[in-house]
Amino acid sequence: MKPLAEQNHYELLEISREADAAEIERAYRLAQGAYASDSLATYSVFAEEDAVSLRERIELAYDVLSDPERRRAYDGSLAGEPAPPPSGGLAFELERERPARSPQKPLAPLAVAAFDDLEAEAGSSVYDGARLRRARMRRGIELEQIAQVTKINPTYLRFLEEERFDDLPAAVYVRGFVGAYARCCGLDLAAVVPSYMERFETGRIARKRGRPGQPL
Amino acid sequence: MTARREGESIITSLGSTTPPLASALRAARPRVLACGGGKGGVGKTFLVANLAAALARRGRSVLAIDVDLEGANLHTCLGVPSPRSSLADFVAHREEDLAKLVVDTPLRNLKLIAATQGHLGAAQPRHFRRERLLQAVHRFPADFVLLDLGAGTHPAVIDYFLAADEGLIVLSPEPTSVENAYSFLRAAFYRRMREALATRAVRRLIAQAMDQRNERGIRTPLDLLREIQSLDPAEGARFVASLQQFRPRLVVNEVRTSEDIKLGFAVRSVCKKYFGIDAEYLGYVNHDEAARRSMLARRPLVDSQPTADAAVYLTRIASKLADPRRASAEAREGAL
Repeated sequence: MKPLAEQNHYELLEISREADAAEIERAYRLAQGAYASDSLATYSVFAEEDAVSLRERIELAYDVLSDPERRRAYDGSLAGEPAPPPSGGLAFELERERPARSPQKPLAPLAVAAFDDLEAEAGSSVYDGARLRRARMRRGIELEQIAQVTKINPTYLRFLEEERFDDLPAAVYVRGFVGAYARCCGLDLAAVVPSYMERFETGRIARKRGRPGQPL
Repeated sequence: MTARREGESIITSLGSTTPPLASALRAARPRVLACGGGKGGVGKTFLVANLAAALARRGRSVLAIDVDLEGANLHTCLGVPSPRSSLADFVAHREEDLAKLVVDTPLRNLKLIAATQGHLGAAQPRHFRRERLLQAVHRFPADFVLLDLGAGTHPAVIDYFLAADEGLIVLSPEPTSVENAYSFLRAAFYRRMREALATRAVRRLIAQAMDQRNERGIRTPLDLLREIQSLDPAEGARFVASLQQFRPRLVVNEVRTSEDIKLGFAVRSVCKKYFGIDAEYLGYVNHDEAARRSMLARRPLVDSQPTADAAVYLTRIASKLADPRRASAEAREGAL
């Protein structure tokens, strides 16, 4: 247990000395959010001056560690320092994302829990709107971010998640929306798109049949 | 992974073939989970009811105990309208045998000790009574015992939390809830330290530290450690050891955005940076209208609607709890 003032850049960002660039980036963005001036998690614990100094040190840590040259020099300066003993263990570690194969890069995941494989639905091949939302949220992605990248109206993205099939445009557009959504979240398009589209088609037909008088 | 799962199934399969051995294993000790969090209305009871139901659905024998004598409603969430016995009977010395207070719930494998009141004004059990209760709880023949704690930071609540094998802190993404979660954590932290440390001078120091405006300028637990070390190095070492064993689990409820999910990571980071403790971010449960409807229907959501969005999250947390070896293996792999 080291006082904050004595923690090195790695300890401050809560990463190991071997962390790669992606891990550093993720840890930095999490820390940045956690210690932001309006952060829900910290305002009632840290005094303002402590919070300010923490923020400055987080920035410095990131500046140094994200620059390979500066990081090497810094590592050299730490050489004399014993590596930190393994901590109690963090059962909820940030997931290492698999590199995406799709041409459109997925949005950088922020914080993904390592319980993907514990998901009750892991064995299920059905991708409904709620599952899409779960996948998105787990990756720390907001709908607005997907909208920005894909230029799809965020309202439609929300309708996708809420399965408001009647409020969505024609199937050919929806197919494109789902594909773009899945890519952004780093999901497997081949699994997601057909499954969702099947729900979409049957959902629409069922609803039209259920409403006599409506033109088909 | 498969090996671990197989290991798990050995114990469960023993249950059907050699009952004496299985019950001997079981009698060894249930895993006791306590669910607190300081603020009322963040979903403690909802979480306990659903985790208990989810564990029971996985085939584990579960006892849920409502220790919230002032706001008992776990029985309602579990669909037991008017339990015929209550923890209040134990507190008031009307019944000494905890097993006699157990009532069935509509769910298989899930039993309940409710906290409905026979009369008004029954207070929290006194210290000795709490000890007795906890002893009985730790000997109860079940796979899991879940304690639904009341709101606030009453010593009784903190005692239950600390006596559990795992303490879950529930918070929702609101300033009031986060503040109360920290007060709860702080109270648990200092109480644990006071109990772990022996000398009177050090205990006095901790009592001072608990007063936020103390004269020694102890602001963080780390400051406190410094003070203790300079006062008594042996106690300082005990302090650190006790700290390392204290691992609260965080659950963020009522998540609506991915920003809300990050709250758990942020609170975990604060635990480490401010309290010096390794909290575990166990998981989150999203906001779901189906959850509210399940409360109105007085049935746990994971049972009435296992595919509902929130139920998926709840089931996921239950899987983590059901398989601690897996979780601890993950922890080892993820260790920094």
